[in-house]
Amino acid sequence: MKIECTIDGKHLLLTVNSNKPLNLILADELETPLLTIRCRDGSCGNCVVLLNDEAVLSCLIPAFRLKGARVLTFEGYQKTRFWHDLERAYEDTGSHPCPHCYASKTLIFESLLQMIVKSESGASRDEEPDEETIVREIGLNKCPCLDAHEMLDIFKAAATYRRRRRVRRY
Amino acid sequence: MYEGIRSPAVHMPKTMSDLVSASTRFPNATFWAGGTFIMSRHDYYPTRDSNDIISLNEVPELKRINRTDRYLEIGATVSFEQLLTVGKQVLPGLLQMTLERSATKIVRKQITVGGAICTPQIRLALPGTLSALQAEVEVKSCMGPKTETRWLEINRLYDKKGAFLLKKNDLVTRIRLGFEREDFSCHIAAGDPMTNPGETVMLSFACFHNQSVVDRFRMCITFPTSMFLIPHEVDMMMHGTMLPLTTQQIERVVRSIMEEVLSSSDHEIPPIQVERSRRFIESALHELNAQSLSER
Repeated sequence: MKIECTIDGKHLLLTVNSNKPLNLILADELETPLLTIRCRDGSCGNCVVLLNDEAVLSCLIPAFRLKGARVLTFEGYQKTRFWHDLERAYEDTGSHPCPHCYASKTLIFESLLQMIVKSESGASRDEEPDEETIVREIGLNKCPCLDAHEMLDIFKAAATYRRRRRVRRY
Repeated sequence: MYEGIRSPAVHMPKTMSDLVSASTRFPNATFWAGGTFIMSRHDYYPTRDSNDIISLNEVPELKRINRTDRYLEIGATVSFEQLLTVGKQVLPGLLQMTLERSATKIVRKQITVGGAICTPQIRLALPGTLSALQAEVEVKSCMGPKTETRWLEINRLYDKKGAFLLKKNDLVTRIRLGFEREDFSCHIAAGDPMTNPGETVMLSFACFHNQSVVDRFRMCITFPTSMFLIPHEVDMMMHGTMLPLTTQQIERVVRSIMEEVLSSSDHEIPPIQVERSRRFIESALHELNAQSLSER
């Protein structure tokens, strides 16, 4: 199956099996280094990417759903200015995810930060995430390297930077 | 590594009639809603015997949430997250609780209502909750050029052991819920049905009462791989009972349901599931009592 999509800003025409999961496409076809550890059943939460600006588990996205889609992996995300909000939040709080889950947890944090931006701009019915939601969403990645307080501190610090930025698009 | 693996053809019908015709032409194809269950199987990919896929995501009728005077009608490919945006005024509290506890927001955006009902091997929390709320499902049977549509009570889709009873060419298209609100409801679950089905227990309970007299008592106990139990006898036994329940009444209900749980399974139920069920039932009844006392 031929699929046209945009991955990390590059327009690509992929020839892949229609049911191949996105995490395998990224690992096999594009050799994305941070997606090499995989559970294949959505239970580890290590394969989060942004699909059309929303965080998804890439192991649960089949190739045929990528037609015309925009995929942003952690590598691509690092090139956006929004990455700096989280980078600075990690520095300020002195806590950061371990190397195994760094990419995935960072993208989950980003999806939570986008909820703030959307709720403040009225673009979405999503409410600003409360503490329980933040801990639960980050808990999608099963790596225990951050405790709940650290997650909340990182999120609060990053949210402060994001609010200052007041930019709503990549 | 993936040599010789066939790429399944993906059919994307845009209308209901296209969907019916696709399912008639490709009887072995797999209906694809959110895909979360299919893709979370360990043998999903690579596999040599992958069937063709009929994606349901392009059919607008299946993505709609309709509110009529009497019912809330939910399309089969509505995602959990989309359904939660309908709001507390429209969605029964029990359903809202079940959806929120099912997964994180990121995964809820992908799980569809129809998919959660039609998983072939395991029962998830949603069917139990919909059953406690006495929901109905619209089933379309595609038999050649003829299509038959019927509404069924959701508990008719499964047997006591949780086996899915619909045929391969039957398609769940809509779910219908009445607007009558339960006076008390609770959803208690322990374990993860996807990763640890042998230890997971889910209980959904809705009680309708009128001036402290029980009118309807709907409980559903689900073990992901071995049980989908609605104790109808207890429903009849509780009809007309005054709230709060006495200790003896609670003991009698728990004993009666547990007897049914133990006699419903052919093989031995793991002790942890038995214990969890017993405690969940007790806990639900105590909560019901607490609520009825606080209303006085």
